[in-house]
Order: sequence, then C-alpha cells, then structure tokens
Amino acid sequence: MLSRVAESLYWMGRYTERAENVARLLDIGLFIELDAELGAGEGFSPVEIALTILACRDAFPMDLGAPSRDAVLRFLTFDRSNAQSILSMIARARENARGAQEAIGVDVWSEVNRLYLFLGGTRAQKRFVRSPSGLFTSIKNSCLLLDGMIQNTLPRDEVYHFLELGRHLERLDVLCRILRAKCPILTQAVDGAEAAMQLVRWTSLLRSCSAHGPFLRSERERIEPEGVLRFLVLDSEFPRSIRYSAARCQASLQEITGGDEDYGCEAERILGRLESDLRYLDVAEIFDRGLLRFLDSLQVTCHRVGDEIQRSFFLI
Amino acid sequence: MQATHSDGSAALFSGYNLAAYDEMFGPGRSPRPHYAPLYDRLNDLGPGEIEHRHKVADLTMRNQGITFTVYGRDQGVERIIPFDPIPRLVSAQEWDGIERGLKQRVRALNLFIRDIYHNRSILKDRVVPAELIFGASGYRRDCMGLRVPKDIYIHVSGIDLIRDAGGEYLVLEDNCRTPSGVSYVLKNRQVMKQVFPFLFEQYNVRPVDDYTDKLLSVLRYIAPDGCDDPTVVVLTPGMYNSAYYEHSFIARQMGVDLVEGRDLVYDRGQIFRRTTRGLERVDVVYRRLDDDFLDPLAFRPDSILGVSGLMGAYRAGNIGLANSLGTGVADDKGIYPFVPDIIKYYLGEEPILNNVETFRPLIPSHRRHILENLESLVVKAVDASGGYGMLIGPASTKAQREEFRRKIEDNPRGYIAQPTIQLSRHPTFVDGRLDGRHVDLRPFVLYGEDVFVLPGGLTRVALPEGSLVVNSSQGGGTKDTWVLHHAGGRA
Repeated sequence: MLSRVAESLYWMGRYTERAENVARLLDIGLFIELDAELGAGEGFSPVEIALTILACRDAFPMDLGAPSRDAVLRFLTFDRSNAQSILSMIARARENARGAQEAIGVDVWSEVNRLYLFLGGTRAQKRFVRSPSGLFTSIKNSCLLLDGMIQNTLPRDEVYHFLELGRHLERLDVLCRILRAKCPILTQAVDGAEAAMQLVRWTSLLRSCSAHGPFLRSERERIEPEGVLRFLVLDSEFPRSIRYSAARCQASLQEITGGDEDYGCEAERILGRLESDLRYLDVAEIFDRGLLRFLDSLQVTCHRVGDEIQRSFFLI
Repeated sequence: MQATHSDGSAALFSGYNLAAYDEMFGPGRSPRPHYAPLYDRLNDLGPGEIEHRHKVADLTMRNQGITFTVYGRDQGVERIIPFDPIPRLVSAQEWDGIERGLKQRVRALNLFIRDIYHNRSILKDRVVPAELIFGASGYRRDCMGLRVPKDIYIHVSGIDLIRDAGGEYLVLEDNCRTPSGVSYVLKNRQVMKQVFPFLFEQYNVRPVDDYTDKLLSVLRYIAPDGCDDPTVVVLTPGMYNSAYYEHSFIARQMGVDLVEGRDLVYDRGQIFRRTTRGLERVDVVYRRLDDDFLDPLAFRPDSILGVSGLMGAYRAGNIGLANSLGTGVADDKGIYPFVPDIIKYYLGEEPILNNVETFRPLIPSHRRHILENLESLVVKAVDASGGYGMLIGPASTKAQREEFRRKIEDNPRGYIAQPTIQLSRHPTFVDGRLDGRHVDLRPFVLYGEDVFVLPGGLTRVALPEGSLVVNSSQGGGTKDTWVLHHAGGRA
C-alpha cells in the first residue's frame, strides 16, 4: 500500500488509542478524587498526574494560580492549543483518517468524523458540565465502537495491520508512562491510614487500565504491588498488558513484512526481543533490577520501535 | 394551485410564485404529468415532515464528511453543500434528446482537440480563427504532435445545461478539464433513498450507481499497449483542495489508490508509487489537478503538487492520463461560440443541443451591441470559472458596468456576452415551504470504448431568491436528479 496511507493509518491507530486512554485516566482520576480526600503536598492528585503522564505540565497555563480540577479536566479534554488534549488527538486521528478514507471505508471514517464534530461542538460541552464522567464514557464508547468496526469490517491486510500496529504500540507506550508516573508514589513504604490510601491508589491504577475485574479473577489474591505489576506488565492474556501489546505489535509487523522465521525489519527484531524478554521475566527480577530503571528502558525500547517503523515503511 | 390534499398542501405551496420556466408546474398551474405523483406525495408529507427529514439528510452528509472547503479565511472552512430534498425530474423523452446531444458534442470536441494538436485543418479552413486558439489559456503548445492512447482526450466531461423560458435545453458551458460534482450526484441519490424512500415508489428512476464502474473501464481502456492488468490511481492536489472529498470518494468506489504528487516518482521513463514494499509501477493516472500543476519540470516550476517527469512518461507512451493535456482549448469561453460550427465541421451534423446566443467583442457589430446593452447582458471573462469574473447586467451597478466597459475595450478577446437568461425554476424547500428557485443541470459524460452519459447529473440550485448564480462557492445548493425510464419498462 502507499507509504503515506500506511503512515496515516498508523497514526490514526495511535491517536485514537491515546484519546481513549486519556478519557479512561481522567474518568478514574475524577472518580477517586471525589471518593476520598487525598493528602495534599504528597505527589499530584489523580487528575493532575495526567499532566505528568502526557508530558504537558509545562503547557498548562499556571498564571491562574494552582490548577483547579475543572481547569485541568478542560485543558486535557477540550483545549485545542494543548496537543495532548482528547480533542486535539481526535482532530489528528481524523485528519489522518481523512487522508486514508479509501482504505478504511465509509463507516470507520464517519465514526471518527462524528466523534470529532461532537467533541468540537456544544453538545460535548453541555455533557461535560452535567457530568464529566458521562462525557468520558461516551468518548470511550465511541473509540470502542470504532475498534469494533475495524475488527469486524476490515480484511486482515496491511490496512488493518498498520492500524493495529499503531494502536498496540500506543497502548504499550501509555501504560509505560502511567506506571512511570505513578510508581514513585505507589511504592513508598507507608503505614496506618496511609496504607488504606495506598490500596485505593493501586486499585485505581488497575481501573484506569480496565484491569480491576480481570486482575481479581486471575490473581485470586489481594491487591498488592508485585501481583498488580506482574499482571499489568507480564500477563500473557490480558489485552492491555505490556507483554500482550508487544506481542500484538510483533504479530502485525510480521503480517506486514511477511517474515516467517527471520525478522523482516529492525522494529520486528526489537519487538521480538522485548517479547521474549517479557515472556521469561519474573516480577521479582524487575524489582531487583529497579522498577524505575526497568520502566525507563522499556520506554526507550518503545521509542526505538516507533523510529524504526518510520524508517522502514514511511520514508520510502 | 390545487389545495385539495391535506392541511399541509396549502402551507407547502402557499405563495408559490410562477416565473421563468417552472420545472414542476405547466400551464394553468397544474403539475406536469411526470411531476404529478411527486406533487401528491410532497403534499401528503407536509412541511413539518420534510423539514425533519431535511435535517436528517444534512446530518448524514456532515457525519460522512461530504464537505467542500471555502477559502478566504485563514485555513479554509469545511462546509456541506446545501442539499435540497425536492428531486428534479427529467422525463425519458427529454433525456433522449439530451443524451444524443451530449454524445454528439463531446465527440466533436474530442475531434477538435485532436485536430488542433495535429493537422489544424479547422484553422486552415478558417472555421475557427487561429488567434483564438493560440491566445487561449488552455492551449498547450507542448501537445503538438503528441499521440494519446486511442486518440481520446476528453475522458470525463461535465456539460452545463440550462433551460430558457420556452423550456429548451441549451448548453451554457463545457467543462473538459477536471469537472467536479459527480460524487454529489451519487451521494445525493444515496441520501435520498435513506431519507425519502417512498418518494421513489411511484417512479422508475434510472440508477447512477454504476458511474465509477464505467469510469474505471474508461481508465483501464487507455492503459499503455501491452498492459493487461493496469494499475490505476487517482491523483489529487491533497486534503486541502476544495474537491478532496470527491477525489477520495471516486478512488474508494473504484477500489484504487488515491495518490498525491509526493506519492509518485519518475524513474527511467516510468511512473511509480511509493509503497510500504518499495516502488510499484503505475499505468494510468486519473488526475484531478490542472495542467499547469501536473509536472513542475514541464509547466509551473513552483508547483509542489505534481510529479516531476510525468510528462516524460506520458510522451514516452508509458502512462495513460485522463483527461489528456491541453483539453482546456475546447472549453475556453472564447471557443464556445464556435462549437456549433465545430460539430458541423467534424460530424457533418446539425447540433442537437443549441448554444446560448453569444456576442463576441472582437466583432465590431457585436461589440457595439454589447457596450450599448450592458445592463441586460451577462458578460463573462473567457478564462474564469466558478461564477467569478462575471457581470450580470440586470443586477449590476453603474460602476461595475463602467469597469466592464473598460475591460472589454482594453481586451476584447478576453470577454463574451450573452443575454440574461431566466434559468428554469424548480420547487425548492426554503423556510419551511416550497418556492421556485433557478436551477441548471450538469450531466457527466465518459469517453472510452463508447461515449456514455450518466443518466442524471448534478442539478445546482441558486438558493437566494431571484439569484441566477448556482455555483457552490456563491451560495448554490444541489438536488438529486431523477432521469425516468420510458413508461412500461426499463430502457
């Protein structure tokens, strides 16, 4: 297929996935904040931490004093000047979809377009005022509908696999960022009342990845750091875990290059190595190596994969 | 008016004014026979229901991104072209004449272009003045002696028709370069079927769906010799072009790649597209880019939209190009007055569709007539389109007329003038009721193994009351156009 179209599909996959993740993150963050008064001065609030995760804290207009919850939510949802807001990402997903309409078909294109027009219009503002959570739910549902259309209408050709490649690489990347931002707080040694608070934080981490129910069913044990990290990083069956996402990226790349046993491009090699690393890694080893160091190197790997994809397929 | 139906009927057509040739109502204000079932159905529906469905149609178009870009402000604004839900009907008998007339006209124009770039016999025989050709902005000297596949130049054309006060269809303008609008023909039909399915029930409407199939056949037909399974692409200037939706739609419907200039590359006489698996050969290009922008090596060096070397590949006979280069010489407004002569010259036939009477300032008696009657004429610059560069006499100010007087005296070759024709009017849904608005019709013609006229076309409607300008850039809307089968069967 055309390199330009492949690139559009890849970015469409990435931006819709990121938008969905931000909606999820804000929704859960708000839910936690409303539930329990978190100690101030100790890390960032669950909503505010999204600024760190998306690396847009510097872009937030601080001149109005300390950021209010509402201002942060709006900044990350509607602000067109913020490249990381949901609206900006859906706008870019839509631009990319627009340049690839003939590849994705009219249904998928219409859904992206509809979501963009909705977010930019007054109906989304009204829904936000009534209940931010209601708005985040409709954004998530819209993204899921989009994915449902992709899964059920597109043939498993390059179009599909470039979309999937973008989606899963982004999923991996976002989860890395979330863990990287939250782990310093999550792994602090605590006692007493703080211990209860810590449990709420771990639960919210699971929730922001839609992993709470699946975790409870699969681990059959209490929510504690090692189990949660094992599940989010190393689980082979949970569709949002890092290992699962890496495997999906690798599989789509393999379909694109047609490589069977040998790898067809550098990105495939890096992903293959990451996948086998994660397959044989033990969670205790991660802690031994140092959790933050592990997450940092994961992030670097993720960026290298992105660069290599760019080089192999889009810069022809 | 027969206000015999429901309460709706009175409201729907109340205050409906008859003026010019009305497409729906004949003498005595009664619906023409082929419009009678539609008239009844609309009255059954009533204004409220039409309003509601009109909104649904708009929303459908907006969600599907069926938009065009309006320039002027910083980035360009996306708009949907206003869609009017009242279909325009063309009887089978009327259509027969239109179809024969268009085929005749396009065949003759095609022979004309071939002649201009080869023997120039029509110039030697002094049927068309040579200076008009060499001064035409669409004339391309580079095409002299160039052989094009199957001798076809105008693969896709859109011929604008209007109806005068007596209801006669006249040709207002030929579009032989890259005419737009066909995607709206197909989309309007889809939306009408979704939103007003029952209006179709009493009619045998000829389908328009197979247009892109037919177009693909034409494009495959002009592939270079020896190419059995040609790779066809649609070349667009890009996402910010006002007709981008159409380019994308056509590529999608044909199942071929939509490419931009940067997706193509020239190498040793061939054109290739850049794909994820490397360079792959392209055989036929349906280009939606003007001649000037196609190849920066051959034409405008500042064009970043085209493909360097495209002309080289075309000259070498390694790609098919639709439409061919230099077709602008046939739809030049300066040439337009000669088209009836062109038809006679090449085909030995009388034109089936007439031109609008046209005055040329180059002829002294015409110039006098024009300058003395500016307030009743329409003056057009020969190298402008889209409703720009026009003077509509009856709607003009004294200053505007003076401006055009000067322009005509300075550059008589640059203008033509025509009587102001009251285009036919059609019931159109405005402010909750129906009123007459002026319309034209752009049918689309494909030229491949045969000449094919799409049964339908784009009906454009001037929405402001009394306006005669139907261009979408100037407040025009569109209607679905139904060409009816002959009674008793499908033709």
